[in-house]
Amino acid sequence: MSTKMSRRTILQASALSVAGVSLGTALPAEAGKYAGDVAILNVALGLEQQAIAAYDAGAASKLLSPDQLKIAVSFQNDHKRHRDALTKLIKQFGGTPVAPKTSYDFGTITSAADIVKLAQSLEAGAEGAYLANAAKLDNPDILNAAVPILEDETRHNTVFQQLLGMNVTERLKY
Amino acid sequence: MQSTHEPLRETRRNWLRLAGTASAAGIAFLLTGSSQQLLAQSKDGDIGILSAALYLEQEAIAAYQAGAESKLLSPEVLTVAVAFQSDHKYHRDGISSVLKSLGVEPAPPEKKYDFGTLKTQKDILVLARNLEAGAARAYATLAANIMTKPVLNFGANVLVDEVRHRTVLNAALGVPNY
Repeated sequence: MSTKMSRRTILQASALSVAGVSLGTALPAEAGKYAGDVAILNVALGLEQQAIAAYDAGAASKLLSPDQLKIAVSFQNDHKRHRDALTKLIKQFGGTPVAPKTSYDFGTITSAADIVKLAQSLEAGAEGAYLANAAKLDNPDILNAAVPILEDETRHNTVFQQLLGMNVTERLKY
Repeated sequence: MQSTHEPLRETRRNWLRLAGTASAAGIAFLLTGSSQQLLAQSKDGDIGILSAALYLEQEAIAAYQAGAESKLLSPEVLTVAVAFQSDHKYHRDGISSVLKSLGVEPAPPEKKYDFGTLKTQKDILVLARNLEAGAARAYATLAANIMTKPVLNFGANVLVDEVRHRTVLNAALGVPNY
């Protein structure tokens, strides 16, 4: 599978999961005018929680080199910051933040490479989800909060792509 | 059309100078002042932002051209530079096309850019990284001022490219991305 194909597949999967979560999430009546934005934020929150859990799993595995661990901890901190910002916004706009899942299935992790691949695919999925939804956000404050998060996800994804020797000179198709 | 948008052009020149030097504070300052009214939530606002973005893209294209012509780049770095320049050409063409659809003739690139002294590959990498970082900051700062959804969507994709470029160039310079 080429890099392009796998990236597209990830993005499609991410779009599907976005649609799935949106349909499955009940909106509080008070979400009101920005109910659509709140629904998107809740999908994003779910992705942040998943990423935090993945980095926890990676750190707990003791498989990462000190340098890899440093990256993982830094990126997990970014995701915690995103989680907190999204949670605050969802509440501010009358929504109910989704709770993290009690467990996540990250497949079999037996090497540091498995963890880097997992992290890269999650970051690519998150990047794709924020990118696909950015222009759907109506509230400027919410958009202003989402844009730096999109930047973080792109940075994370690019760092892991480089670690994995993937092509970083090809832009997404748009 | 030209005269109507003259204040926007002036705004563009002002904040782009700051973007070029990667000054977030400068951009933020301009956006909190009278420029914010100029970039009001309207079609004119989008035109001002797009004109500014076009300037940045033209500048980046010229910078990568200067880098490539310097013969200072290793084959690997040259490959990256050519790919990134091609992204900026794609951005330029997309932005130009939107401006035309809004009835505005896109401004041509400057005849000459001052990129300072480029004596080493590192000089070129630093220049490119600074321009990419400035562009990313400009797109991120202005995103919420864009009123037209397709323009915003295009801008978000461009932002992602600029961040990817900046990240790769930082890595090439040994600057941590975390």
